[in-house]
Amino acid sequence: MKKKLLSVLLATAMVSSLVACGVSAGDESASAGGDASASTATTETAASGDAIVLLNGKPEINEQLQALAAAYTAESGQAVEIQTVGGSNSATASDTLKKDYQAGTMPDIFVAEANQFANWEGMLADMSDQEWTKNTELEYVNGDGTVGFPYMVEAWGIAYNADVLDAAGVDPSTLTSPAGYKAAFETLEAKKDELGLTAVVSYGANAAELGWSTGTHMFGQYLDAGLAAGADSKWFDLLQDGGKIDADRMTQFAEFIDLLQQHSNQTIATTGNYDQEVALFAQGKAAFITQGSWFGANLTSSADYSGFKCGIAPFAFADGIDTICGGATSYWAVYSDGNVDAAKAFLQWCSEETAQKSFVNDCGFVSPFNTVSDVPSDPFAAAVNTYKANGKLSPMHTFEKKDGLQNDTSVVFEDFANGKLDVAGFVETISKVCEAYYAQ
Amino acid sequence: MTTFSVGRRVTSFALLIAGIALLVFALVLDFLGLKFYIDLGNGNLDIRGAILVVGIILAIVGIYLFPTLKYHRTIVYGLFLFPLLATFLVTVIIPLFFGIGYSFTDWDGIRVRNVVGLENYVRMFRQPGFLWSILITFLFVFFNVILVNLIGFLLALLCTTKIKALGFFRASYFLPNLIGGIVLGYIWKFIFTSVLTNMLATKSMLSETPTAIAAIVIVYIWQYGGYIMLIYITGLTGVPADTLEAASIDGANPWQTLTKIKIPMIAPTITICTFLTLTSAFKQFDVNLAMTNGSGSIADFMGAYITNGTEMLALNIYSTAISQNQYALSQAKAVLFFIILAVVSIIQVRTSNKKEVTL
Repeated sequence: MKKKLLSVLLATAMVSSLVACGVSAGDESASAGGDASASTATTETAASGDAIVLLNGKPEINEQLQALAAAYTAESGQAVEIQTVGGSNSATASDTLKKDYQAGTMPDIFVAEANQFANWEGMLADMSDQEWTKNTELEYVNGDGTVGFPYMVEAWGIAYNADVLDAAGVDPSTLTSPAGYKAAFETLEAKKDELGLTAVVSYGANAAELGWSTGTHMFGQYLDAGLAAGADSKWFDLLQDGGKIDADRMTQFAEFIDLLQQHSNQTIATTGNYDQEVALFAQGKAAFITQGSWFGANLTSSADYSGFKCGIAPFAFADGIDTICGGATSYWAVYSDGNVDAAKAFLQWCSEETAQKSFVNDCGFVSPFNTVSDVPSDPFAAAVNTYKANGKLSPMHTFEKKDGLQNDTSVVFEDFANGKLDVAGFVETISKVCEAYYAQ
Repeated sequence: MTTFSVGRRVTSFALLIAGIALLVFALVLDFLGLKFYIDLGNGNLDIRGAILVVGIILAIVGIYLFPTLKYHRTIVYGLFLFPLLATFLVTVIIPLFFGIGYSFTDWDGIRVRNVVGLENYVRMFRQPGFLWSILITFLFVFFNVILVNLIGFLLALLCTTKIKALGFFRASYFLPNLIGGIVLGYIWKFIFTSVLTNMLATKSMLSETPTAIAAIVIVYIWQYGGYIMLIYITGLTGVPADTLEAASIDGANPWQTLTKIKIPMIAPTITICTFLTLTSAFKQFDVNLAMTNGSGSIADFMGAYITNGTEMLALNIYSTAISQNQYALSQAKAVLFFIILAVVSIIQVRTSNKKEVTL
């Protein structure tokens, strides 16, 4: 009898735990689906309607976005929930999205980079009718319409230490041709000791560490440098057509890289990592660095940085290149099965003055919209803003090349820096690698 | 023989039928992508999941009450195994078949647009980079199995002698195994690129593909040798003292004791250790990722310029999916990886077992 009682008790315990699991699972799917109003009980705000969910891929702006969402809720009554994932890159955000898609819990607005839009073909809302599109030229447009809302601008060329250039008597405005660079480098090389430099250029080509810099950003200069804002790039079209490379342009590009290598620190060029590359520049021991505006945050947070003025010069590997590559490197997209109207209204609000001021002043972003004139305190923001205002921001097709190509091309850059390849060898190998990559 | 009351029979069958009906209903709803709402007054609640759970519970109770004496015990055993079997099915068996299924499609991690048949399998063998990965993985495994076992065994011999501070040596050889591969990879990367280059004034080992592979082998031995040593120590201490004593009385020298007595007696340990090193070397990922991330160049391999010179199979599968965004291709590579591992393991265990019998 006792045994029977025990077994009944055990069975009850098992069954009740099963029921408990089942019930909580049911609740979860209901609230995550976002259709049931039972879910409003779980959101903090007592707003009308369901909260729209924004998946943010930049943890560093999580708090600012939360504040922005709260401000929007206070103003419009629409609750906005910010979910933040990811670390240094948005690959983790795209992983989260894949999981969310399988689970049927897609956010209404999510972060996407240019090469990720193809994955979501036919599933994103067209925003071409929105008011904000008139205030920017940096939105992402594809076959589905205007699908990417730009929220930040990044740009890159060759960053320089304006104080050092000034002390050496080099005028940054001459840096628009290989000859101009050559003259500047030689002047600086001659005054190295006087200026406290150990290398003229801080350049890193170690594929495992800085493959993103060489394979994506510097390769992007080959594709787009010198083009007008929003222009098509014939070199990008060539690349997309089976990975073809224009040998003449690539030769000029390679000669310029070679010039950079001759004036850079050999150890950092071949084995250095991002921190070492940044440190050399931040300590004032290098006058140039092959990085872009994102590196302002690393520079200002570096203990070595003494507060010198900075600027960005064009990556002028051919005569007459007076633009830097730039634009929105990350977008927000609206999921067409989500709460599209509320999401569009929120994005419209984000493009307006109040929100843009917060993006600029709190997040430190250069605004892609012309609704505000504020410039963040970042050392490179003013330079980027000037290029943008003058229409000198070339497009960034490098983010739309075939996924993963940068892993292969960056190795060629490293071999070039190691001296395993000469200029001709670099051009030949990079053509071979690109063609092979597009063929596979 | 006890007969069952009509009530018991009716309850059992009714519960069973109701349970299965609810289960099927919930699954059909799920496959059709529908939801089932009830009105709670303040809004609708989706109870599809609850229907499924209630269905399972009713079916379980129905089976438990099933009017049989002969099979009652079997049913009870089955019910107790059910949670485990269900978990195994959901987490291992179903994903395995899903994975194999995905490898025949153009799955991009989000949705399947077309079924492409064997195209992914054909494509992966046309990639010189992937063939290179297979090649260096086999090379890596070959060197590792030999070196890790050799060094582990020698360390074990050392740590079963009567030297001083034995516990300290055992612990310190084993310690690297407790450090995670990623951390370990970054530590050694620092050693190879900063410490050694400064001390010896040479180029970093990681800058050339062959030496970079050698560097990964060294780190792997450092990480895994202590663990294998520990298993060999267990084997060596298990060799009966009287056998060794008899050998020494018969005048066997240490070398003869080692080759004629100790090694044959620890044959099962050798099997375990080679098996462990073989499979874990094949699955090498974290040290590879942290140290080189697969980069490295080979000027000419099958007419192509290889840029993933140090990328082993597991890392190649990962980067195909994550950085190249080719999930289906990566899945096809993973299926091949699974087959290779299964075949190698089976052959290895079979041959070692035979050897043990003859010894």
